[in-house]
Amino acid sequence: MSSTSPTGRVVAVTGACTFLGGELLRRLEEDPRYSRVLALDVRPPSLTPGGKVEFIKLDLTQPTVDGELATLLARHGVDTFVHGAFLSHPTHASDWAHELEDVGTMHVLNACAGVEPRRLVMVSTTLVYGAHPKNPNFLVEDAELRGHRDSRFVNDKVRAEKQVQRYAKEHPNVEVCVLRFAPILGPTVSNMYTRFFSRPVAPVMMGHDPLMQFVHEQDAAYALQKAVESHATGAFNIVGKGVLPYTTVLALLGRVPVPMPQFVARQLTKVLWATQLVGSPPSFLDFLLYLCVADGAKARRELGFAPRLSIKRTILDFLGIAPEDGATDVARAQA
Amino acid sequence: MTDDHDPPDNSEPQGDDDGDWYGEADPRVPDAPAWPDRDLGFLGDDVYFGGEAEVRSDIGGSHIPSPAPDGDAELRELERRLDQHRTPAFPIDLRRRLPLEAVWRRWRSLAMWGRSDVVDDFGQDPRATARWEWLFEFLYSKWFRVEASGLEHIPARGRALLVANHAGSLPYDSAMVMHAVRRDHPARRDVRPLVEDTVFHLPFLGPIMNRIGGVRADPENAERLLRKDELVAVFPEGEKGMGKLWKDRYRLQRFGRGGFVKLALRTGAPIIPVAVVGAEEAAPMLGKVTWFAKNIGIPWIPVTPTFPWLGPAGLLPLPSKWYVQFGEPIDLSSVSGRGLGPAAAEDRLLVNRLADQIRTQIQTMIDGLLGQRRSPVLPAFLG
Repeated sequence: MSSTSPTGRVVAVTGACTFLGGELLRRLEEDPRYSRVLALDVRPPSLTPGGKVEFIKLDLTQPTVDGELATLLARHGVDTFVHGAFLSHPTHASDWAHELEDVGTMHVLNACAGVEPRRLVMVSTTLVYGAHPKNPNFLVEDAELRGHRDSRFVNDKVRAEKQVQRYAKEHPNVEVCVLRFAPILGPTVSNMYTRFFSRPVAPVMMGHDPLMQFVHEQDAAYALQKAVESHATGAFNIVGKGVLPYTTVLALLGRVPVPMPQFVARQLTKVLWATQLVGSPPSFLDFLLYLCVADGAKARRELGFAPRLSIKRTILDFLGIAPEDGATDVARAQA
Repeated sequence: MTDDHDPPDNSEPQGDDDGDWYGEADPRVPDAPAWPDRDLGFLGDDVYFGGEAEVRSDIGGSHIPSPAPDGDAELRELERRLDQHRTPAFPIDLRRRLPLEAVWRRWRSLAMWGRSDVVDDFGQDPRATARWEWLFEFLYSKWFRVEASGLEHIPARGRALLVANHAGSLPYDSAMVMHAVRRDHPARRDVRPLVEDTVFHLPFLGPIMNRIGGVRADPENAERLLRKDELVAVFPEGEKGMGKLWKDRYRLQRFGRGGFVKLALRTGAPIIPVAVVGAEEAAPMLGKVTWFAKNIGIPWIPVTPTFPWLGPAGLLPLPSKWYVQFGEPIDLSSVSGRGLGPAAAEDRLLVNRLADQIRTQIQTMIDGLLGQRRSPVLPAFLG
């Protein structure tokens, strides 16, 4: 039960080397309201020498890391804990990924149960809703987290989220806030989607063309900053402005769509995934078949976060093309 | 394909229209990289750590082993640059040597043909809609010779729920209701038809329905649309309506579970009953085969006078004469003398009774239209 220290807030960030973690550190470094930031990761992030960010090596896959973490929280008087140690793309080392995401979250929550911070912010994705034929066009935060039948990448995150939901119920004193980010695109971020869209060709499920949604990396980082600052609790979808059909996304990106029947695509991806030639597992194909689009209204209402960039500008920015007429997007839609 | 004198809002996108979008980019196009170049000069001030760092080098398979576990910033920077080179599938050197840039730009503008770079929240694409306009116009005025009446009952603005009967193995009826309002109503409003799952997830047809304005039939979607003051068309018979046999033609099936009534009560939208006559003759279903149909993801294989026999051409509708009648709006807040608020949506008995009343009303409208036709079968085609 640590209170805000007299000089300013103390924030601890796990996954400090992830894109969002690094961005958050940079933004907290510049903000005078925070007196001290603990960057927890297995590798040191780039730090300004003499700044207030301090790197502490912490491996969430170690069996006794929770005790270590609890000591840390108590010693530094951490009042805001940001849990962002999640993988941005699937890995073949799925056992290790499970240890890091699911069990790692357990360790984090164990520590936060022992030494309650004032606020706990968790980084999640909208993939936890799963791509399902019965999904409405806009998933709201209390929709069921369906995950994916056979994607450990998604299901580990679902399990981690469920643990956090349980924690929030058991610890009403802690403000628990979960941010579900739509796939993040941008010139510097690297994740499953940026890799997928960096290839010159992309598979298309023949005759299917679901709507897709992205959030720009700077919007995403801003949302995380907002979540650390605010007092809002609960889950929030962090999504960009607008949606586009998958094939239009490919056309804007200039990728060559390769339409193939479902069973061909599934077998092919299975082989390519097993031989480690592609970074997206077969289960990812469902996201090319069905909708998984979330509604960001709650974040606008309660978190005060509204995305600045439309999906088209996000895509152009990802490509490295400077947008010149982003403002006319809406006008063109109505024309 | 389309008339040249069309107003710009629904004309076929012209070449120069595309050019306006990409043309603006022209002055600085030579600078635009073909694939995201992650090795460019932005590294100077803003140093980011990409998601790469999350994968542990000893387990992550293809990960480049970290040369300096802690400390040496220079080496880590070098490592990070190497990492970023791996992300694009095309080696950057190869890209520089091959003249792919021009090809890529040409491909991009080609790929954007007939689609717009902005769609509405539910996936309606204005250019794709314009692209299919001629087909609907042909079906509407030449093929089915639709006679629409009662269009004045549709409000020029504000929400309303069109409730219609359903027939035929392909949703021509929803397309014709949509087109009738867009073409003949003074406000030329867009109708958003709710499409059953079976059609919405059909390959090719589903995405086309979505691009021209169809929305998957889902209570949340419908409520969102109505709250945006859109005009929503529902076919409460759903799949059962489409699967009606010829002998049951124009006999309305059960109206689902009254979901549309709940929707109208919750959103305060008036219900406009719509009767469509002619759709049954356009694709008279003589029988349906359920064997094997489930394997290919459809509920049944229809047997029509033309369908399996003529192959895919058999899916084309017969040229029956159509009548579409829009009835007077029913404002549920004034039904039965007392105000029905959103709370009434929880009263299942009331909802079911209202649903049945509306069903009866549409049945009466259909019977009236059928009575106008002179004899049962042939005039269905001659009108």
